[in-house]
Amino acid sequence: MFTQSELEAYLDEDLAADEMARVEDALRSEPQLAETLAALNVRRDSGMHSVGGIWRRARISCPTREQLGSFLLQAVDGAHADYIRFHVETIGCRACQANLEDLRQQQEEAAEVVDTRRRKYFQSSAGYLKKGK
Amino acid sequence: MSSPSEIDALIVRRIRDGDGDAWCDLIARYEGRLLAFAQSRLGRRAPSEDVVQETFIGFVNSLPNFDTSRTLESYLFSICAHKLTDHMRREGRRPALPFSAFHDDSGGEWEIPGNIRGASSIARSGERRHLESDSLTAAIQEQVDRWRREGDWTKIKCMELLFVRGRANKDVAGALDITEQQVANFKFDFIANLRKTVKKQTLSRDVFPELYEG
Repeated sequence: MFTQSELEAYLDEDLAADEMARVEDALRSEPQLAETLAALNVRRDSGMHSVGGIWRRARISCPTREQLGSFLLQAVDGAHADYIRFHVETIGCRACQANLEDLRQQQEEAAEVVDTRRRKYFQSSAGYLKKGK
Repeated sequence: MSSPSEIDALIVRRIRDGDGDAWCDLIARYEGRLLAFAQSRLGRRAPSEDVVQETFIGFVNSLPNFDTSRTLESYLFSICAHKLTDHMRREGRRPALPFSAFHDDSGGEWEIPGNIRGASSIARSGERRHLESDSLTAAIQEQVDRWRREGDWTKIKCMELLFVRGRANKDVAGALDITEQQVANFKFDFIANLRKTVKKQTLSRDVFPELYEG
């Protein structure tokens, strides 16, 4: 059973990855869930706001990337560290999870692997620069 | 020292001036977190890199529409989420649902066009939606910033569980080891403050149903 806030997060690709997969599994076996999601879309298209949706999109309570880095280094004080853990693990904030994973990877990944990847992105997108200007 | 948002604004300005080095800087700054975002869903590295690549191309194409008052990171994540959704639909992993004209508020030509109403109607109501959303964002942010300054993490956790996860008062009380009455009191104060904003800014109550339930 998913809450309306969770389904709204699903529509925005904003639930934690395992929960996104749970909704997708449920969609395959429960046709009425697709109807619920479609109704949510209609409600949003008609101009309704939800506090949770606004909170997620504006990332109201997300720690900064610098704070996440300090958290990884265990340099954040107890109560604040506990809150960051809650936000990432219990709330399942996708953007903060991605930032944390990236920061972890940076500590482990070889510089030349990163350089190769960045060069690939640059070469495939730089040609669009003038067009997008 | 410049703040992250000032650095982002500067990078975007340089990119708009056609500075290739700035484009390199933006990629270096954001590709890792976008890759982690995509890979958490796709699992495999190669398709995740493809999604990130499409995200950067999508960003360049939508650059004329990018509003620098919004955060670059959130904008890139929202493009990435769309590209990821498209990718998973193509793979048959994400069931197709009726598209939404407004399921992201950042705009841009990468966005799936809505076909429910005419373009002028969407543009008009889009402006109104931004105004409503921005007003409520500021009101929520003000309360959260105050709790953060006071180290009142329990109230932030409480509101996140109630509104971001949609949990019932009873569940929230259990999760945070506080009473249901405390949850109800926190919620009442929070909503009362948001209602004040709606009233002060003469926004329509009808578009914020949660604030006027019960």
